[in-house]
Amino acid sequence: MLISLNWLNDYVDLSDLSAERIAELLSLHTAEVEGIEEVGAAIADVVVGEVLERAQHPNADKLSVTRVAYGADETVGVVCGAPNVRAGLKIAFAPVGSKLPGDLKIKRAKLRGEESCGMICSERELELSDEHGGILELPEDAPVGVPLVEYLGLKDFVLELDNKSLTHRPDLWGHYGFARELAAILGRELKPLKLAQVEREEAPAEPDGRFAIRIEDPESCRFYAGLEVSLEGEPGPSPAWMQRRLRAVGQRPIDLLVDLTNYLLLETGQPTHAFDRSKVRGDLIRVRRAEAGEKLTTLDDQERSLHGEDLLIADAEGGVALAGVMGGANSEVGPETETILLEAAHFAPTRVRRTAHRLNLRTEASSRFEKTLDPAGTWQAVERFVALLQELRPDARVLGPARTAGSSAADEVSLELDPKRTAELLGLPLAPEEVVDLLQRLGFGVELDGASLRVEVPSWRSSKDVRKPIDLVEEVGRLAGYHRIEARPLAAPIEAIFADPMRQLTRRLGARLMGAHEAFETQGYTFLHADWVQHLSAARGDFVIVDNPVQDQVDLVRQDSMPSLLDQAAGNWRANPAGALFEFGKGYFPQGDALPTQRRWLSILLWQRGEAKHHGPGSAFGRARSLAEDLLRTAGVAWTAETVEAAASLPGWAHPAQILAYGDGAMLVSAIHPRVRAALDLSEAKLMAVRIDLEALLAAQNQEAAFRAPSKFPAIKCDVALALPAELPFAEVDAALRQAGGKILVNLQLFDVYEEGALAEQGQRSLAFHATLQAADRTLSEKEEQKFLRKIGEAAERLGGSLRS
Amino acid sequence: MRERLEELRGEGLAAVESASTEADLRAIEVGLLGRKGDITAALKSLGKLPAEERPLMGQLANEVKAAIQASLDAKRATLDAAALEAELSGAGFDPTLPGPGLPGGGQHPISAITRELEDLFLSMGFRIADGPEVELEANNFDALNIPSDHPARESHDTIWITPEEARKGDGSGVVLRTHTSPVQVRALREYGAPLRVVAPGRVFRQETLDATHEHTFHQMEGLVVDKGVGVGHMLHAMNTLIEGVMGRKLETRLRPGFFPFVEPGFELDARCPFCQSGCSVCKGSRWIELMPGGLVHPHVLESAGVDPNEYSGFAFGLGLSRIVMLRYGIDDIRWFMSGSLDFLRQFPA
Ligand SMILES: [Zn+2]
Repeated sequence: MLISLNWLNDYVDLSDLSAERIAELLSLHTAEVEGIEEVGAAIADVVVGEVLERAQHPNADKLSVTRVAYGADETVGVVCGAPNVRAGLKIAFAPVGSKLPGDLKIKRAKLRGEESCGMICSERELELSDEHGGILELPEDAPVGVPLVEYLGLKDFVLELDNKSLTHRPDLWGHYGFARELAAILGRELKPLKLAQVEREEAPAEPDGRFAIRIEDPESCRFYAGLEVSLEGEPGPSPAWMQRRLRAVGQRPIDLLVDLTNYLLLETGQPTHAFDRSKVRGDLIRVRRAEAGEKLTTLDDQERSLHGEDLLIADAEGGVALAGVMGGANSEVGPETETILLEAAHFAPTRVRRTAHRLNLRTEASSRFEKTLDPAGTWQAVERFVALLQELRPDARVLGPARTAGSSAADEVSLELDPKRTAELLGLPLAPEEVVDLLQRLGFGVELDGASLRVEVPSWRSSKDVRKPIDLVEEVGRLAGYHRIEARPLAAPIEAIFADPMRQLTRRLGARLMGAHEAFETQGYTFLHADWVQHLSAARGDFVIVDNPVQDQVDLVRQDSMPSLLDQAAGNWRANPAGALFEFGKGYFPQGDALPTQRRWLSILLWQRGEAKHHGPGSAFGRARSLAEDLLRTAGVAWTAETVEAAASLPGWAHPAQILAYGDGAMLVSAIHPRVRAALDLSEAKLMAVRIDLEALLAAQNQEAAFRAPSKFPAIKCDVALALPAELPFAEVDAALRQAGGKILVNLQLFDVYEEGALAEQGQRSLAFHATLQAADRTLSEKEEQKFLRKIGEAAERLGGSLRS
Repeated sequence: MRERLEELRGEGLAAVESASTEADLRAIEVGLLGRKGDITAALKSLGKLPAEERPLMGQLANEVKAAIQASLDAKRATLDAAALEAELSGAGFDPTLPGPGLPGGGQHPISAITRELEDLFLSMGFRIADGPEVELEANNFDALNIPSDHPARESHDTIWITPEEARKGDGSGVVLRTHTSPVQVRALREYGAPLRVVAPGRVFRQETLDATHEHTFHQMEGLVVDKGVGVGHMLHAMNTLIEGVMGRKLETRLRPGFFPFVEPGFELDARCPFCQSGCSVCKGSRWIELMPGGLVHPHVLESAGVDPNEYSGFAFGLGLSRIVMLRYGIDDIRWFMSGSLDFLRQFPA
């Protein structure tokens, strides 16, 4: 949204304030100003000049050689190609060293042998208009040497407002609204808009010799006014001052009628539309829904296919405008227009927004209707239009009273405000009288009613943003100035907040993973590519599905972090052949139409290149298992490893054979399924996953660790190697040996697995252990150690093996 | 015999003189004075001498032994002193050679800042709350005073689970939460007033990914509801938060801002910490917009069952992703969700 300060000056005196100060005032009291642009800054070096002499260029037919005076001590020779250059002409002159729009710097030059010191400019070169048929001709009395910007009265500053910060303020979509704000902020007079008295009458639903108006969808259009105005002769262009203002705020002047409706829109914020009356067929204006498939060619010459949800302005035969969005080409005004039908209406914001969005056709009009405009402003726009038109074209004639349908009355909003509570909420020491004054400055009607205030909300604020007393608190606060609010600490809490156990748990686990296991915490996307359904050998129905994914096909909501960790491992794999990533991430599972079930996971992924061993100590799986069990110790949870039935339902990334479960599956230690590795081009990698259900872990965390006094008697350490059937799971061996070892076996640690050589040929493997023997009440004898070894040997024999040493 | 002893004395003293290491001295000591040493042998052979020569030769042998021992002791002292001096001089020791590599792990920078801020707010008596990322439309919009026809609800802003044709407009739809603000509603319903709570978490918007836009980013919501709470309290909490995040006090200012779930609404700007006279971060304005906030809208209090005539409150939302980018000078938001070890390694555990 661009706001010209010259334009504001029509309504509030800002002449003593810099553009920076005005921008700051608006930012601090109203809405964010994102930039300030000086109009004419690009042509600041250009001055009024005079062509003293003009002669034909000796070497070029189309060029003239001129002598130009421009207020400097000496005159200069300039070569010029314009057909209209002549002696005595006052011109816009850019001397050597000056700059023109487009980063053009004027230098001394030789053109076909003739020296040229400067440039005589066209309107296009000055970015004043698109005119480039010749140089700009200035009036004879233009004073030579005066800066052009000053002479033309171009000097202006334009503020750029952040549109997002205006969405709730329908009154700020035109200059007059900003003038009102600044008048209130500064406590200055707001001059009224010049309006014409326009007669109005209720339009009949059927033509009665003049046009009728029928609002067939009153929910989408609460008020519609039509006014016929005739002009003597062509509309022609709008005056220079109007063109300047339109250009300053980024609008291209077209002709009087188009410029006038644009000017009105930029001044009051109310869109209007001018139809060529002769092209509106018949005498009936219908405001109706479009029929599905109905076509309308809009002013931009695009044929639009409409929808039952679109609102249409139709004449007796069909659509003439897309309500609130854009007019139809079939009723467009042009040089031949003699009579116009001016439309000023109030359209429902959502209807306009949906149509504009669906057709990708956001216009100055639609973006304003979207804001819920003041209904009273609709009629005011008619009065302002007539006043402006009569000023520019005294020959214009209003043909009969305006005809209206529906009501332009605004909602009456009357609120009660407690000034004491207002001051308390704002943290500002405000007396009731000051509250009254601040509201009155903004146009609110205020009456003191005992201790409270009765406030009448003006129509331009009641349509949307001031509906409740709290909205008045904001008005008072922002006008009083938020800079006056002092920071005040909250009163001390009475109750202690005990640390959240889930957060303590996750922090401990995270610190352990980073510290002891050299893992990096990461964050992965919640969304997965649809291909993950196949990678995980799942069904789409197993996932929560995004209706409108940000990226095509990336429409699955993850069940856990493992797929995103795998994607990230694939990204790291080439440069980092080994690594560990973990994420505290949430996963979701569908529950029909209800809110999906949420699970909170800790997911860890370890990867490395090939390894010497594929299981046991020193293997990647072994490392993952040790890490997982270390985390259980960190959490203080006593889950133990269980093997997993082939039939068990597992996440799709889990390897059905290389897996252990803990806590009824709340923690899994698993290799990644070869199908997933292949899909991610990670077949070379050893990938190990640990996934922990954090809520289950937290619930299992209650076991208090009990202290056991260490034995005062020395321990015996010995190594034991056993040959055992290769297919016998270690877990069974471990359990049998511990039972055989009895109470004195306080630690039994596997340190080597040997599965090659002669033993392997006999279907056996060697398992080597460190054993620690200790008793709480005595020093163990050598005999007891021998007895232990004998029992271990017997146990090994029962398992089909033998004690090797 | 005499000649032999004198010879041993001469040789011994000369050898000690020329020795340069403890090992040399030890060899000399063993060779001469040890159990099988030459002087020891000479002493042992005294018995073979005529009786009258024995005392004299014995004395001489002991003299030789003592002389050599004294010379050894002296040389040892010299060598020890030299060795100590050499060690202390640092010659031959390069402390700049590295130790073995200990790669360590690290925490994600957004988690790091989240944890810091949680601790800060815990110290001020706030609870930490959590809410689901997949959220009911009612909590994300309706309860926050965002009307059912508000453009923010539409598919070009919000990521929906409920298909467009199945949305009933009654709040029963399911969305990816667009802000952490629904936790305000959840926390108020769970704990009631008075309440102080912060809720960090990830949020989602329809955005096309580029260096400054992410569809997935992190926020921290703060909410205080109590009797007599006003904008001054909000300003104090925000100032404290900024001091916590930036490590020092910064001048701040409140500007009007609009958010449906607060009234009045604000934007808090802080003095640009990176410059004195304008820079690329503050775009020359010397202010950077850090956090929106405001007084909790009465509608929000009501939808959570809190009486707005009795209680008031404030809420604010800090964009954690942006704060981390500012703090570390990260120029591309996509790093956060990249999982790149080259990125993650730059942040300590
Ligand atoms: Zn700066």
